[in-house]
Amino acid sequence: MNLSNSEILLSIEDLHASVEDKKILYGVNLIVREGEIHAIMGPNGSGKSTLSKIIAGHPSYKVISGSIKFKGINILELEPEKRARIGIFLGFQYPVEIPGVSNLEFLRVSTNSRRNELGKSELDTFEFEELVTESLKIVEMDPAFLERSVNEGFSGGEKKRNEILQMALLDPLVAILDETDSGLDIDALRVVASGITKLSNPNSATILITHYQRLLNEVTPDFVHIMANGKIIKTGNKELAMDIEKSGYELINKRTKKKEVAK
Amino acid sequence: MKSSAFCRNWLKSLPPTQGDLQKEQVFGRKRLLEKGIPSPEDEAWRLSNLNRLNEFFALPLTIKERSNHHFPEQEKSIKRLILNTNKCILEDILPEGITKLSNREIEENIGNIIKTCNIKNDLAVSINQAASSDLLALRINQNVTQSLEIIIPSVQQQMISTRVIIILEKGARLDLLEVILGNNQSAQNHLIEIKLEANAELNHELISFGQGKQASSLSTLAVEQSPQSKYSLNSLHQGWHYARFEPRIIQTQGDASTTIKSLQVTSAKEQIATHSLVRFEGPNGRLDQLQKAVATDSSHSIFNGSIDVPKKAQKTEAAQLSKNLILSKRARIDTKPELEIVADDVRCTHGATVSQLQEEELFYLLSRGINKEAANSLLLQGYYDDIISNFSKNAQRWNFIEKLIKATNK
Amino acid sequence: MNQTNTVEEIVSQPYKYGFVTDIETEKIPKGLNKEVIRLISNKKKEPEFLLNFRLRAYDQWLKMEEPDWSGLSYTKIDYQDLVYYAAPKKDIKKQSLDEVDPKLLDTFEKLGIPLSEQKRLTNVAVDAVFDSVSIATTYKEKLAEHGVIFCSISEAVSKYPELIEKYLGTVVPINDNFFAALNSAVFSDGSFVFIPKNVNCPMELSSYFRINSGDTGQFERTLIIAEEFSSVSYLEGCTAPMFDTNTLHAAVVELVALDQAAIKYSTVQNWYAGNEKGVGGIYNFVTKRGECRGRRSKISWSQVETGSAITWKYPSCILQGDESIGEFYSIALTNNLQKADTGTKMIHIGKNTKSKIVSKGISAGKSKNSYRGLVSISPNAVGSRNYSQCDSMLIGDEAAANTYPYIQSKQPQSNIEHEASTCRISEDQLFYLQSRGIDFEEAVSMIISGFCSDVFNELPMEFASEADKLLALKLEGSVG
Repeated sequence: MNLSNSEILLSIEDLHASVEDKKILYGVNLIVREGEIHAIMGPNGSGKSTLSKIIAGHPSYKVISGSIKFKGINILELEPEKRARIGIFLGFQYPVEIPGVSNLEFLRVSTNSRRNELGKSELDTFEFEELVTESLKIVEMDPAFLERSVNEGFSGGEKKRNEILQMALLDPLVAILDETDSGLDIDALRVVASGITKLSNPNSATILITHYQRLLNEVTPDFVHIMANGKIIKTGNKELAMDIEKSGYELINKRTKKKEVAK
Repeated sequence: MKSSAFCRNWLKSLPPTQGDLQKEQVFGRKRLLEKGIPSPEDEAWRLSNLNRLNEFFALPLTIKERSNHHFPEQEKSIKRLILNTNKCILEDILPEGITKLSNREIEENIGNIIKTCNIKNDLAVSINQAASSDLLALRINQNVTQSLEIIIPSVQQQMISTRVIIILEKGARLDLLEVILGNNQSAQNHLIEIKLEANAELNHELISFGQGKQASSLSTLAVEQSPQSKYSLNSLHQGWHYARFEPRIIQTQGDASTTIKSLQVTSAKEQIATHSLVRFEGPNGRLDQLQKAVATDSSHSIFNGSIDVPKKAQKTEAAQLSKNLILSKRARIDTKPELEIVADDVRCTHGATVSQLQEEELFYLLSRGINKEAANSLLLQGYYDDIISNFSKNAQRWNFIEKLIKATNK
Repeated sequence: MNQTNTVEEIVSQPYKYGFVTDIETEKIPKGLNKEVIRLISNKKKEPEFLLNFRLRAYDQWLKMEEPDWSGLSYTKIDYQDLVYYAAPKKDIKKQSLDEVDPKLLDTFEKLGIPLSEQKRLTNVAVDAVFDSVSIATTYKEKLAEHGVIFCSISEAVSKYPELIEKYLGTVVPINDNFFAALNSAVFSDGSFVFIPKNVNCPMELSSYFRINSGDTGQFERTLIIAEEFSSVSYLEGCTAPMFDTNTLHAAVVELVALDQAAIKYSTVQNWYAGNEKGVGGIYNFVTKRGECRGRRSKISWSQVETGSAITWKYPSCILQGDESIGEFYSIALTNNLQKADTGTKMIHIGKNTKSKIVSKGISAGKSKNSYRGLVSISPNAVGSRNYSQCDSMLIGDEAAANTYPYIQSKQPQSNIEHEASTCRISEDQLFYLQSRGIDFEEAVSMIISGFCSDVFNELPMEFASEADKLLALKLEGSVG
C-alpha cells in the first residue's frame, strides 16, 4: 500500500553521522508514513544499525548534519527516554542483559512511562500483570520469563521475543526492528513475524532492518531500501528484495554506481 | 636465633663480594643487613615455614663444579645449557640468533626489571642478589625464533645460587624450558629476569622438582612486558621440602598478553608456596591465570595471587582461578587472591575452589569395574591435564606425569 | 553527555540526618583512666563483676597497639581527648514514654522511628539509643508475655546480672582486638535480647543508634542470646549529625545461638560519612561476631553500609555446633573519600557446617571499598561447605575496589567455592533502559538495585524497602 496522503511520522533529511570519530552515514533521506512497512537492507557495515541507533538517540553516535523529525518535530535534542515515550521504539539486534533487574518490573516501569506520556493512568502491579499476560500470547512466551532478570540467560530467540513483547506493551508509532530475524530458527522467526504483523496498524509504521530476505517472506514490506556506504542507494518494492536475494548486493551496488556515473 | 643475628651469620659465611655481580652482591647484602631475613610479621611470609627457611640458610654456598646428573635425552634441535660451573656458561656455543649480553648491557639491565616490579621488602630477591656470583645473560636477537633449555642441578648439602637475565628483542620468539632440580639436603637460590620488547613472544616452561630428602628452593621470576608482547608461563612444582616461587609480571604500558598455568603438588611434610603478582601499567592488557594445587599427607600448599589494575589500565581483562584439591586430613591449603582495581572500565574476575576428588566421579569409575587406585589415578590425571597438556613434547621428556600421580595417589 | 559524571552526580546526594538535637547533656570530663571507668560503672550502679570486667579490659587495652594492617590511613585518634559518657540530662529512663523529653521523641520521629504509642511501628519493637543511653524500648510488655527480654544492656545488668555474667565477653573476649578491648572497658549502653527455649520471637526487634554529641565516643554493646529451638530477627539502624571532626564508634556485638536456634541480624548503617573533601564523619570500628554453639543453629548477618568516613568491620560466624549455618550478605556503598574495609570470617569447626557469603561493593568518587574475608575449615569440620560471591561495581575512574578473600582448608571432606567479579554500569545497559522510556536517574538506580538484588532478597520485609530507599537516597536526589 502506498498511502501518500496519510500523515508523515518520520522524516530523515540528508543525515550525516559518525561514531568514535568515524563517519558512517553520508546523507540518508527517508520518509515514513502511517500504516507503512519499510525494509532497509544492505551489506554489513553499510550503516543500517547506525541509523537505527541514531533515531533512538544512542549517546555514542554523533549527528554531524541533517535532521530527523518525528511528526514534524525535531527529535535530535531529545533524550532517548523521551523519544521512547513519544512513540519511537527500537528493537535491538543484541538486547543487553541486566542482572538482578526483574523483567516484570522493568516492563511495568517502561509501560507506565509511555502511558504517562499518552495521558493514561499508571498501571499497578495487578493491572499490569493482566495486560502483560495478554501480550505474552502474541509472542508465545511463558510467563516464567517475567520472573527472571532482564534478558539474563535468555537464548537468542527468547531475547528477540522479549523485544517484541516490549513493542506490544509500549504500542509505538514507529517501530524500528534491527535485525530481529538474525539468529532465529524457523519457528521463532514465524512467532516474531506474526507478532510484528499482529501489532502493525493503520496509525503506526514499522521499519525492518534486515540482512536477508527471510523475514520479508513473512512480513510484506511496502518499500524496500538498499543501503550501502552510509546512504540509501535504491528504493523499490518487495521485488527489489527478491532481486537482491538472487543477484546479491554487489551487483545492485555496481549497477547503481554506473547509473550515478551516467548521470 | 633472632632473624637479624641469623642473617648476619649467613652473610658472614658468604664469600667476599667479587666479579661481574659485585655491585649487586653489595646491594643485596646491605638490604638484608637492614631488613633481616623474613619473619612471621611480614604479611608475605606469614604462612611460610621459617624453620625450613633457616635450614635453607644453614647450607653452605658452593661455587664449585657440580656432579654430573643423568638427564633425559635432549631434543637435538634444542640447545641445552647446564648451569653447573661458571666456565660452562661462558664456553658454550650459543644457537644462532642468541648472543651474550656485553658487560655494558649487563650493567644497563641488571636489576632494572626487578626495580620495575617495585615490591616492598623484596627479600627473596635480596637473598639471591647477596649470594649469586653466576650470571647467564642472553639476548634473543630481533625477529629470531629459537628454543633453549636451561637446567639447574643442585648439590647435596650445599646451596647454589644462580642468576639469569634474558632479553627478547623486538619480534623475537623463544621457547624456553627451565628445569630446577633438588637433591638430598640441597638448596636452590634462583633469580631470573626477563624483558620482552614489543611484539616479542616467550613460551616459558618451568619444571621444578625437589627430588630427594629435604630439598629447598627459593626462586623469583621477574618479567617486564612491552606492548604487543606475549608471555606464557607453564610451571610445575613438586617434591620440595620447602619451596617458594615468586613470579611477578609487569605490563609496562599494558596492551600485552600474559598467560600463567601453574601446578604445585605437595605430599609428605612438604610446603610449597607461590606468590604471584601481575600489574598492568597501561590500558588493554590481558591476563589468563590458572593456579592448581594438590596437597596430600601432612603437606601445606600456599597460593597468594595479586592482580593490580591502576587507573591508567582501562580496558584490562584479567581472569584468575585458583583450584585446589586437598586429599588428606592432615594436609592444609591456603589460597588468597588479591585484586586491587581502580580503573572502572575493566573486566576482572577471580575464583577459588578447595575440594576433594569428586565422589560421584570416583563412584562412576568404580561401578565400571575399575579398581580404586586406577580410578584415582585417572581422576588425578584429568585434574592435572589442564596444566600439563600445555607442556611441549620436549618438556614431557621429564616424565612428570608419573611423578605427580605417584606423589598423590595413596 | 558525559555519562560517568552524571552517574557520579547521582550518587552524591547530601546527608539527610545531619541535624543536631539541642538538648542538655551530662558529660563526664574528657579522658580515659581507671577513675573514669569506675565513674561510668558507678553511674550505672553496676555489680562488681562488671566493674572488674571493665578494668581487666582496660589493662589489656593499655598493652595493645592500634592496628594499621588494612592500609587505611586516618588521623590517629587521641583517646584522652574523647568523652566516654554522655547522656541527656533529665532522668531519662522513665516508666512511660509520656515522661521522656519530647525533644528526644521528636528526634527519633524525624529519623523515621516514631516511639509514641499511637505512631509506633506495628510489628517492630524498638530500643532507641541516644548518645550513650537507651531512652526507650517499645512493646516490652507484649514481648514479656512470650518470655522475650528486650531492653537496654544497662537495664539487663541490673535485672538479669546472671545472664550478663554468663554470656558477656564469651564470643568476643576482652582482649580480642584493640577496639573490642576499649569497648569492653568503657561501653555505656546498647541492647540486650534474650529469647527463651522454644520461642519464636513474635515481632522484629530493632535498635536505633543516634550519635548526637560531637566529641563523644560511641561504645555500645549488644548481646543477643537465642536458647534452644528459638528464633529472632533483629535490626539495627544508625545515624549521626554532621560535624567536621571525626567521631569514634567502636561497638561490640555478640550473638549466641544454642541448639537449633536461629538469629538474623540486619544492619542499615548510615552514619555521617564526612563531606566531599573527606572532612568529618564517623570512624566505624566495630567488632561483630556470632557463635553457633548449638547443633543446627544458624546465624545470618545482613548489612547495608552506606555511611561512615571509615568502616572497618567483619561480622563473623564461629560455626561450632555440628550442622550449623553461617551467612553474610552485604552491600557497601562508598563515595567521595570514604573508605570501607568490610567482609566476614566464617570459621568452620563443627561437622557438616555450611556458610554462604554474598558481598556487593559499589565504589564511587575517590572512595576505597575493600572486601576482606576469611573462610577457614578446621580439621574436624568434615563435610563442611562454603560458597562466596564478591562483586564490585566501580563508578568513575578514581574509585578503588579491592578484594582479599583468604581461604584456608585443613579438611579434605569439604568444599569451598569463591567467585568474584568487577563491573561498571555499562552505557549499553543504560541506553537499553532509556530507550524503553525509563529516565536516566531511574535507570542508574535500577541497575544498581539489580546489582544488589541478591542481598536485598535477604533483608527482612520491613527493612528491604527501607534499605532500597537509603541506597536510592544516595543515588538519586528525587527519591527518599
